[in-house]
Amino acid sequence: MKIALGVTLMLAAAAAIPSQTPAPTPKLHASAIQIDLVEVGDVSIPAEFRYAIYERLIEQVRESRKFEKVFRSGDKAAKNVPDLVTLHTSVEAFTEGSQMKRELVPVAMGSTKVDVTTQVTDKDGKKLLDQKVAGKVRIFGENLGATNDLAKRITKLLVASF
Amino acid sequence: MKLTVLLSILMGAGVALAQQPDQPPNVRHVIGLETIKRNANGHLTIQNGIMQFTAKKLEAKVPASSIEDVFVGTEMTQSGGTAGRVVKTAAMAAPFGSGKALTLLMRTKVDILTVVYRGADGGVHGVIFSLPKGLAETTRTQLVAAGAHMSAPQTELKERTK
Repeated sequence: MKIALGVTLMLAAAAAIPSQTPAPTPKLHASAIQIDLVEVGDVSIPAEFRYAIYERLIEQVRESRKFEKVFRSGDKAAKNVPDLVTLHTSVEAFTEGSQMKRELVPVAMGSTKVDVTTQVTDKDGKKLLDQKVAGKVRIFGENLGATNDLAKRITKLLVASF
Repeated sequence: MKLTVLLSILMGAGVALAQQPDQPPNVRHVIGLETIKRNANGHLTIQNGIMQFTAKKLEAKVPASSIEDVFVGTEMTQSGGTAGRVVKTAAMAAPFGSGKALTLLMRTKVDILTVVYRGADGGVHGVIFSLPKGLAETTRTQLVAAGAHMSAPQTELKERTK
């Protein structure tokens, strides 16, 4: 009797759990986004990587057509957009590999990797999104290819969130 | 015998691509100029206070006075451009991984020039060029002489990639 009661209670609890799963996060809305320059802090990363990430982000986010306007860092026109959001990217770690090693010993050696923290804030500075993203190049291509991979991943994140 | 012939042809092609005859230096636009395609080859000139990149019929002009920073770096990359990539891809079909020999042969050191400027709307742009070795320093000197600004002097070329 006690066992039957126990099993019933456990089944009831299990049935109740799915109904408690939180509702999916509502999508964010903004007509325009401003892409800030990539912050590098104390991380040693060549200038070309910093600016390649920035340029590829602008390119990829524009191509995604998720926002009516994509502003560069410093663009004066961005101030007039009431629902503007800003994308901040900070480099957390950088490992520069070697294209030659990658081609000789693919995947195992020579990978280039960039780890960043991506944040989206509204006009008041309120954080709307905060995620860690990594960009890699592990087999073919130049080291700068990691910036392309990173920009694609960040854009995918933005498309999923807006 | 066949393997030896194939290897000789592939190595010959690699060496030929690596040692291009005397031509006006080709500059590759990696990213950053909105009117020019990525990885387009062309010529970079600095005249009358204007940095101009011309690729086929397209051109992009940046006033030197709007340049806020110029960075120079070097990188080891694959030589031969698109043709080199095709030869290397074909070589992968060679038996016993012998095509990987091309990876070692088809290496070239290039200079990377990063030019940061502000557009008329205030937006920051980062343009990255890949130049033949030794040209980036000269180009930077020319840009500074033409009116470009630099936030911090770079004393030496930093070689990073093995």
